Amino acid sequence: MVLNIGPQHPSTHGVLRLEVTTDGEIVSKITPHLGYLHRCFEKHAENVTYEQVIPFTDRCDYLASMNSNFGYVVAMEDLMEIEVSERVQYIRVIMAELNRIASHLLALGVYGLDIGAFTPFLYMLRDRERILDMFEYTCGARLLYNYMWIGGVSHDLPKDFEKICIEFLDYFEPQIDEYNNLLTYNKIFIERTADVGIIPADIAISYGVSGPNLRGSGVSWDVRKDEPYSIYDRFEFDIPTGTGEFGTLGDCFDRYWVRMLEISQSAKIIRQALKDLPGGDVFETMPKKIRPPKGSIYRRTESPRGDLGYYIMSDGTPSPTRVKMRSPAFTALSCLDEVSSGWMISDVLAILGSLDIVLGEIDR
Amino acid sequence: MSRYFTNIYDTVNTLWTGMRITFRHMMNIRRDNVTLQYPEERWPRPERNIGFNHEDYNVIRSRLHVDIDDCIGCYRCERACPVDCIKIDTIKSDRGEDIPTVKHTGVTSNGTKKGFVVSRFTIDMSECCYCNLCTYPCPEECIFMVGGPNSSKHPIDYEFSEVDRKDLIYEFAKKLTPKQRENLTKTDEKAEA
Repeated sequence: MVLNIGPQHPSTHGVLRLEVTTDGEIVSKITPHLGYLHRCFEKHAENVTYEQVIPFTDRCDYLASMNSNFGYVVAMEDLMEIEVSERVQYIRVIMAELNRIASHLLALGVYGLDIGAFTPFLYMLRDRERILDMFEYTCGARLLYNYMWIGGVSHDLPKDFEKICIEFLDYFEPQIDEYNNLLTYNKIFIERTADVGIIPADIAISYGVSGPNLRGSGVSWDVRKDEPYSIYDRFEFDIPTGTGEFGTLGDCFDRYWVRMLEISQSAKIIRQALKDLPGGDVFETMPKKIRPPKGSIYRRTESPRGDLGYYIMSDGTPSPTRVKMRSPAFTALSCLDEVSSGWMISDVLAILGSLDIVLGEIDR
Repeated sequence: MSRYFTNIYDTVNTLWTGMRITFRHMMNIRRDNVTLQYPEERWPRPERNIGFNHEDYNVIRSRLHVDIDDCIGCYRCERACPVDCIKIDTIKSDRGEDIPTVKHTGVTSNGTKKGFVVSRFTIDMSECCYCNLCTYPCPEECIFMVGGPNSSKHPIDYEFSEVDRKDLIYEFAKKLTPKQRENLTKTDEKAEA
């Protein structure tokens, strides 16, 4: 039997259509149909100037816009050989990590919702809201920030940001235990996720899966640690990997659990960054005219979903010749067919949720 | 057999833990309540020392507004817009004869002399992506998002939905009568000749 899931389905996390071929209730083949959210980001970027690309990168991964901005500006600064001031670097790291927490909170909450637990979703969104409030306080926008600019950031931090951020972290870190008691250690949740949708490490690597999905399979690979960009080499943090705590290594529970552990690691990075946040001007290294030299560059950064790569090609004019975005969610989705064949339809939704895809980034 | 009972025990136990947490929140509903009854109550907008200095710039993202009396028609906001929602037309004006309703000669509040009649300045707010890029290059600081530093003149407005999409196209330029337009273009030709 052929069953269409989506494009308008709450469990597909956006407009994605899965063509599921089943035998009874056992899935034999899945074909994802993409393109419902295609907005020609890459082609469009060729017609606007370099600074105008940034609002469009926001709209790719709309749950972690700061991280999308971060990848683009890191690539652009390396292409133009700009040394960014210390304060800007620290602000960027703080913002990116806060956004990582926000993104993971949504991913975990929605995963609970997919499985059938509604309460943790509300609790996690309540705390995510406080992060968004901080972003709004900093740059005025709640979701699509256009905050990191080439050579700087659009607004300096507000004067009492440090206090607010520490206050939030003090409130937030005990909440993680509450989430764990509410959802993670729940027997029903474990039964639904453990031993389901196992991605072995070699398959994950061969598909190019990255980020928490790869670390859930036990591979310790994090761009922040292994190929440090910006100032990530100054911070002390661990890379949580899956251990197969309640089932097999690389199952849905491991991917969920890695995200949960990453939240507390991000909080740790933010505390360190806030402690030695230097003063200074955030605009001094911002170039007046953005006209990079001829050449091309590829830089990757760690977004909440994995290796987010930007390939930028310049011919010396104010607008890029080519911008290519390497989307981590796209590769995660590509291994869905291999992972979920042999499981039941209800497990497919559990596997899809554990991959934490964002369709804005897949279709671009 | 023992596994069967352990499973039942675990399920009941962990469910009970979760229920206890939700019950605790239910008991502390007055303290923990975060829901806002939206149309009656609103979140306070973030207060911040906002001015037109670059250091503490307008952080508000709301409806765009143009103080057309200060506009010199330099097209910089139009060029900065990534989605082309700002459209400007200008007519070069001859100095001397001021049209009282348009005030195309004279100076802006920053003291810059105006050289153009802005005959059209439309912002299509249905296309605007609220990126704030247009407000930075403006030399006269006359395009801004309402609220923030201008809240005395223009209070914050983020609820401007309309029934018709055309109503979201805001026209800021003062209306010219056909006669005035003809006169202006005539002087234009004279200046060229």
